[in-house]
Amino acid sequence: MADDYARAERHLRDVAEYDVERRRRYVDLQPIDIAQIGELREAILNHLDAHVEAFFGYLAQYPEASGLFSRRNLLEDARRLKREHLIAMVGGEYGRPYVEQRVALGALYSKVRLDIRLFLGAFQALSRSIVNQIMALSPGDGPKGFQRSESLMKIVFFDIGIIMDVLIADREQTITLQQEAIRELSTPTLQVRDRLLIMPIIGVLDTHRARQLTEGLLNAIRANRAKVVVMDVTGVATVDSKVANHLLQTIAAAGLMGAEVIVTGLSAEVAQSLVTLGVDLTKLNAVGDLQGGLEEAERLLGYEVVKTRVQVARRPLD
Amino acid sequence: MVDEAREGLEGELLVPIERDPDVVTARQKGREMAVEAGLSGSDLTLIATAISEVARNILVYAGHGEIILRQLERNGRRGVCVIARDEGPGIQDIPLAMQDGYSTGRSLGLGLPGAKRLMDDFEIVSEVGKGVTVTMMKWRR
Repeated sequence: MADDYARAERHLRDVAEYDVERRRRYVDLQPIDIAQIGELREAILNHLDAHVEAFFGYLAQYPEASGLFSRRNLLEDARRLKREHLIAMVGGEYGRPYVEQRVALGALYSKVRLDIRLFLGAFQALSRSIVNQIMALSPGDGPKGFQRSESLMKIVFFDIGIIMDVLIADREQTITLQQEAIRELSTPTLQVRDRLLIMPIIGVLDTHRARQLTEGLLNAIRANRAKVVVMDVTGVATVDSKVANHLLQTIAAAGLMGAEVIVTGLSAEVAQSLVTLGVDLTKLNAVGDLQGGLEEAERLLGYEVVKTRVQVARRPLD
Repeated sequence: MVDEAREGLEGELLVPIERDPDVVTARQKGREMAVEAGLSGSDLTLIATAISEVARNILVYAGHGEIILRQLERNGRRGVCVIARDEGPGIQDIPLAMQDGYSTGRSLGLGLPGAKRLMDDFEIVSEVGKGVTVTMMKWRR
């Protein structure tokens, strides 16, 4: 879990330039806005502590935010990052470093499980504190104060967007873990006869699952001393070159363990796309459908299925 | 070709490619968009497979990037456009990368040339150190 968290954070930290550019476009950040914010820089820097306090003071009212307040070192980090945030907020540069700073703060919120609604409330308190100051800077010139506030609000929403993404990414991580748990249950290997296994594959075949499948299959071959495996892919809609390569390698590995793999149920579409891709399938022993595959497997193992005469016991009518 | 693709219809979708499951999301969304654009049958699987190939390339070579899906219309003909882009190390020798069986990773080396064969139009632009952008289209038959 900790690793996954670190991974999600690293992905987000490593922000692409075009992503930053797009975020700026979404909030319609114009050069005029940056100029307006520049006019506010000094005044806001002079009231830094009051603004930081607006944010943390809001959170301190709520016991739900205790995750942050009960961990002194994290709280100190958060205060320091928030200070740096406000300095950068009026700094005029909203590129990759700015976004990365926001992500670091978001990751901290995520670590202390800060409720998204509480975060929004605190951010609102912070922006109110700043806007009040902005309005006080131009007494008697409401429109000017309003315009400046509007420019600053663009940065506020720019920031919120980033923090939301970090908090959401954390939740998605949980979903991913659950999906993996489900997947582990989803590729059974079944013995149909002595030395004959079938492996039905249904659903999405990605590289993770393909790896799992290889492992499961090779273990099952050993455990059941299998000679033939029928792998049925009727339920698979897409196979790309990586997964195809993986399957071919699995089949080769099974061969080394003395088991032959028969692939059944390749759909017309998948067959066509594999051929178009240029995957060499000459080593693949494929049979049209599962029934045909089982018949072929039985033939290879020397079984003969004989239909017996149907005997219905006739009971005399009383 | 890229400019042309920009004039797409209303439907546009962005799928960030950061982890393995994103590859699956991208191809599923691509399939859905192709259905909306009136494509059908095996074309849907061909598009999904091509998206899968370029998305995997993003993960393997750049670590992360994105896939943009668009609906297209040109002279009354409809189709879909897939743009795959990243800011990874880029490709040094594009003609070489487009050869069957060539790979600097440990793969079959069929991803890019295969994707090109699966689609109708295919264009790749890359600058070393700046990343790769693949633009590909498939039209309704």
